[in-house]
Amino acid sequence: MQYRHVQVIGGKGAAPDRFTATLRGIAVDSREQLYAAGDSEVKVFDGAGRLKRRWPTSQPVHSVAVASDGAVYAGEIGKIEIFDGTGKLIDTWRDQKLLGRVTAIGFTKDSVLAGDAADRAIRRFDRAGKFLNNIGKDNPLSGLLIPNGVVDFAVDAQDTIYAANPGKHRVERYTPGGELLGHIGRFDGIDPAGFTGCCNPTNVAVRDRIFTTEKAGPRVKAYDFTGKLLAVIATDLFDANCKNMSIAVDARGRVYVVDTVKLEIFVFEPVNV
Amino acid sequence: MSEDLTRRDLFAKVARGTVLATLAGGAGFLVKKANGQVVWQVNASRCINSRLGEVGVEACNLCTTECVVALSAVRAVNEYSKCGRCNICPAYFNILSAVNELGQPSEKLCPRDAITRKPIGKVDPEDPANNFYEYIIDEEKCDGCGKCVMQCKDPLGLGSITLRVRYDKCVNCNSCSISRACPQNALLQLPVEQALQPVVLKRTG
Repeated sequence: MQYRHVQVIGGKGAAPDRFTATLRGIAVDSREQLYAAGDSEVKVFDGAGRLKRRWPTSQPVHSVAVASDGAVYAGEIGKIEIFDGTGKLIDTWRDQKLLGRVTAIGFTKDSVLAGDAADRAIRRFDRAGKFLNNIGKDNPLSGLLIPNGVVDFAVDAQDTIYAANPGKHRVERYTPGGELLGHIGRFDGIDPAGFTGCCNPTNVAVRDRIFTTEKAGPRVKAYDFTGKLLAVIATDLFDANCKNMSIAVDARGRVYVVDTVKLEIFVFEPVNV
Repeated sequence: MSEDLTRRDLFAKVARGTVLATLAGGAGFLVKKANGQVVWQVNASRCINSRLGEVGVEACNLCTTECVVALSAVRAVNEYSKCGRCNICPAYFNILSAVNELGQPSEKLCPRDAITRKPIGKVDPEDPANNFYEYIIDEEKCDGCGKCVMQCKDPLGLGSITLRVRYDKCVNCNSCSISRACPQNALLQLPVEQALQPVVLKRTG
């Protein structure tokens, strides 16, 4: 299996479709619209990479996700802001303790998940924002070891949560209730099937396979659900100082990856499938 | 007392102890010096081993080879409050060495075996990936070669290890031989009262 690089979206600059200082999170909706969380804005791009909409967040934004009803969740320090598809603010969840620094957001069928990097845990809330339980909080024996400052996870169609656990060099599978089901991944500094450095993978996406990003050096890979490496999607396109590169996958299997230094989103599509 | 609180207390104590230990070599010496005198210091934002943005280059070892003191007066220091206590620390292990039966690199990085580690918190004997470690640099072994500093810095590590001039070792030459050799002009002379001010790392480019 191979992937090819097909597109670059965004970049550094003051133009409306560019980012001034930060580009931290991305998400793709069912219509292949790309949502990017950068600076203190959410930007929405169409499938061709053209800016369709943008709107401000109340403070620097660390993550973004789109619910099945089209609501856009923006993760920040101490809160989540919820917008409709046009960018109108419809709700704000504030909790300095449970939402210390929200670096990832996801959804199960009946709940909202938030990765709190300040406390190295995934929080589960009901759709109204009531806290239900923690996931990955029981450090160190069955929890997230996060030296890199970002909690990231993805949710599959069966509501299984795939959490990057970089300190253990694994992607771990959890139930929404927080039970650890298993993991893929291992440390290896030579074999590309392994994860190297102190703490990788940093970010994860899931659809028909598991996608990961790594730092130092930057690398994007695809695995099957048994942990077999399927493809090294990209390495040398990215700035060498990239880290915590957000990743998303659309329904056609196209992979979107953030270069956190160049503030660009690279798009890859599978070939030979 | 909960396990978490115990670990937090331990970290706090370690951090306080580290600051004191870090300063001990310098501060005890410095307080004996009169205001207005100058001392040498490594500027971490200039040193190629520690400055942010430098990747893919070999560690510079001029601090080891150029110092007039037999075992260089420049030593690596681990600032515990910044350390990630990683299970696999790239400054401790040679992460490019073969993986052993524990799933860890089989070789250490430091050529003088100056870094040791001990587990902290709960220890999982079944799965070593679950464990945290405290990393300790033996300054009597360290010769300031900078290999660990290069591997610890962002984005590979957290940048907790930097090179410092140990004022109890430094003979305070008027013209420091490391300074003369350093192509980055990273050895600076500072007034005593500024010498222990924290240095902010800057990304190049």
